[in-house]
Amino acid sequence: MNRTRIILRKSAWAIFTIFIVIIFNFFLFRVLPGDPARAGIRDPRLKKEAIEALQVKFGLDKPVINCFETLNPIKLGSCTINPMETQFFIYAGNLVKGELGISYHTNRPVADVLAERLWNTILLIGAGQILSILLGVVLGIVAAWKARTSVDYGAVTASLIAWSLPTFWLGIILLFWGSTVGLPVGGKATPGISTYPLIQQWADIAKHMFLPTLTYTIVYMGEYTLIMRSSLIDVLSEDYILTARAKGLNSTQILRDHALKNAMLPLVTVIAINLGFTVAGVIQIESVFSWPGLGSAIFEAVIRRDFPMLQGAFLLIAVTVILANLLADLTYTFLDPRVNVE
Amino acid sequence: MKQKVLYIMLLAALLLAACGGGGSAEQPVVVRVGKAGSPDTLNPGNAILANSYTIFELVYDSMYELNLDGSFRLSIADSAAVSDDGLTWTFKIKDGIKWHDGEALTAEDVAWTYNLYKDTPEYPYLNGYYTTYFDAITFTDNNEVILTLNESIPNLESQLVFLYILPKHIWENVDKLEYENTEMVGSGPFKMTEYAQNEFVRLSANTEYFGTQPKVDEVIFQSFDNQDALVQAIKAGQVDMITEMPSTAAASLKEEPNIELVVGAPLSPYVADIIFNQIDPENCPEDGGICSGHPALLDKNVRLAMAHATNKQQLIDVVLLGLGKPGLTLIPDGLGVWYNNSIQDYAFDVDLANQTLDDAGYVDADGDGIRDMPDGSRSLTFRMNWPSDSIEAPRMAELLGEMWSAIGIALEPSAVDPDALTAQCCPAFDFDIMIWGWYSDPDPSSLLYVYTTDAIPYGSSETGYSNPVYDELYAKQQIELNFDARKDIVWEMQKLVHDDVVYIIPYYSAAVQAYRTDRFTGWITDQAKVELADVTSLMVIEPVK
Repeated sequence: MNRTRIILRKSAWAIFTIFIVIIFNFFLFRVLPGDPARAGIRDPRLKKEAIEALQVKFGLDKPVINCFETLNPIKLGSCTINPMETQFFIYAGNLVKGELGISYHTNRPVADVLAERLWNTILLIGAGQILSILLGVVLGIVAAWKARTSVDYGAVTASLIAWSLPTFWLGIILLFWGSTVGLPVGGKATPGISTYPLIQQWADIAKHMFLPTLTYTIVYMGEYTLIMRSSLIDVLSEDYILTARAKGLNSTQILRDHALKNAMLPLVTVIAINLGFTVAGVIQIESVFSWPGLGSAIFEAVIRRDFPMLQGAFLLIAVTVILANLLADLTYTFLDPRVNVE
Repeated sequence: MKQKVLYIMLLAALLLAACGGGGSAEQPVVVRVGKAGSPDTLNPGNAILANSYTIFELVYDSMYELNLDGSFRLSIADSAAVSDDGLTWTFKIKDGIKWHDGEALTAEDVAWTYNLYKDTPEYPYLNGYYTTYFDAITFTDNNEVILTLNESIPNLESQLVFLYILPKHIWENVDKLEYENTEMVGSGPFKMTEYAQNEFVRLSANTEYFGTQPKVDEVIFQSFDNQDALVQAIKAGQVDMITEMPSTAAASLKEEPNIELVVGAPLSPYVADIIFNQIDPENCPEDGGICSGHPALLDKNVRLAMAHATNKQQLIDVVLLGLGKPGLTLIPDGLGVWYNNSIQDYAFDVDLANQTLDDAGYVDADGDGIRDMPDGSRSLTFRMNWPSDSIEAPRMAELLGEMWSAIGIALEPSAVDPDALTAQCCPAFDFDIMIWGWYSDPDPSSLLYVYTTDAIPYGSSETGYSNPVYDELYAKQQIELNFDARKDIVWEMQKLVHDDVVYIIPYYSAAVQAYRTDRFTGWITDQAKVELADVTSLMVIEPVK
């Protein structure tokens, strides 16, 4: 009843935010300096005619929007033209059709490239998140239960170090180490493995995933451990835990049935938000290990100044973050009924 | 429970990792090449990156092939004949050449391909530059291609070398702009077997090839997102050869027991340049010209003094860790015969540099340690910008700041986003000094064009240099059919721009590549240019027994 209304209202806000992002995303790349048709290509062999042909090909010959020919430098134009002949409305119209434009760099539809890359990233994030959540939660529980013992201090110190390690630096170090023990230093699979039996292909992918997943796990595990620990310590000092103890419940019962449920709340929020941001956060890991995911695609697009690609990737990231937040919100209302109260 | 799952997962991952690999005796001979980056597209018309051209060279044929000494050889044609007026070229295509799908390659394919490139303005290079002089292309029943030019030009070979011949029977049915061409059908010594964008390109030997057969069964180009991983990959034996590396890695690879480092002029050289904005206000482009350069840079004496105060060897030692040669003009030593090696570079002589500035009237009037304009209007403080993605430029800028402060010149250095830099550069001329660079074509014409007055409004001229004598020489070499006569003109042009100190070319960086000595033997390393991924090397290497 009430819950349905809350879900509807929150979803409406999410859709509104995405709408704002779409508009912002478009103009962000139009106020950047430079001529996108020449971006990444600087060559005396590129004649004027070729530049003009490229501008037509990518639709850059059209005015950005009514009244504005270009935004950097600001050049005013006619306000009475057909809006459907402007870059903005062509972009918006294509979005409705699910098209994100053509990548300047690869000449392929951006949506195709993103779809291809997204699965690799999901594979990496999925494995890394599961491992880091499991390890982080377990370590956090142990640290909280054994609070102020050497186990706790050890766990906290290790987690703090892991959390504050620069991702790319840790990645490079693991890459150097991995190459000496025979682990592959880059890619998703050994080229040419596709002719082998399926089981060997999977083994090959697992082998390639090892280092990036390890990096990912180490970096996120620390964060989860710390949050889990402090949240659980908080809960364990509550009166109802004392009551549980007084009732004669054993440690497992207290933890499982009484403390953990409440202590998990902050972690759920962090995990959900992280899920959104990690799509962007894997840029460093993917570019260190040449993992062909979204992150390395974004990295490449930045280097090549591939605006349609960046525009598409930013939109995807924004949508993921918004959805992840929505998910966190909604999970919260289920986990903690108090949130329902308006 | 959760812990159990975790243990099982970890165990499974480790087990899988341990049992990967393992080969049998009948496996094909595979050369693995590590590349930093991957082809942008396999559609030759749209392609821009060198990584794409590397693949085209192996899978396609062209009329001419570029040798590693800088010369050209006829490839798919038995003979080439030119009419007396130099306008009509007749190529007799070899009989019996087959496409990878078994169809015959004929003069019709060649003519169709050339017309495709000529008539597609959206193809940035193949149309824009290489077919500029094409008038008409036809074929005869005698398997001949007749190419008519609208002007007789001396460098047709270099224009045809990148015009890869495409199969008409496939390309006439596809959208020439959108076609991704991932299942390339060519006629070259290697066939496309498998392609995963940004991951790898897998080629196999074409056993029907009309020329000599490759001695390996497969070549795999694996893409890495960063050069450090590339270096680790060759050290660990995961690749057999790499074509680029950070300068810092060269020293460590040199000491590896099974790795041989190869250093020399690159196949397509990158020429770093220090650009002086010297645009004459009269030449300031009407469309988008800002022309805010420091007036002192218009004075050749100032540029000359800065050239004398530049210690190129120190730049090479610090920025490139010694892997380069002092530069002269935009025409690098890697262009072989076109490179004017008789030019005497400006001596590194700080006293002479100071003297030059004193004599020209640039003295430090206000005693702040920086020289001022002869009229005292402003000091010799120059903005110095470079693209923020450059690894070399920040180090170079720092050294130049020190070198030039010894002659009373101050710099305001800043790294600028490459797009913003393009916007400042050309044709806006809204800067004083920049550090940037160009990739060179095998023929000198494209980089000689950069110095011309014609290039100013189009953004190719970065300096705004304008010299009618030079412009005339440029036009002359464009149509000089006699090789030696053209060479003399090209040399004269280099002398001219060197004397005018249009740029300071700090160095020509060397190509540094490496291969594993325990895997393959026979790499071609004794040519003027170093390119282990060149078709010539990949055709002759053999596995180490």
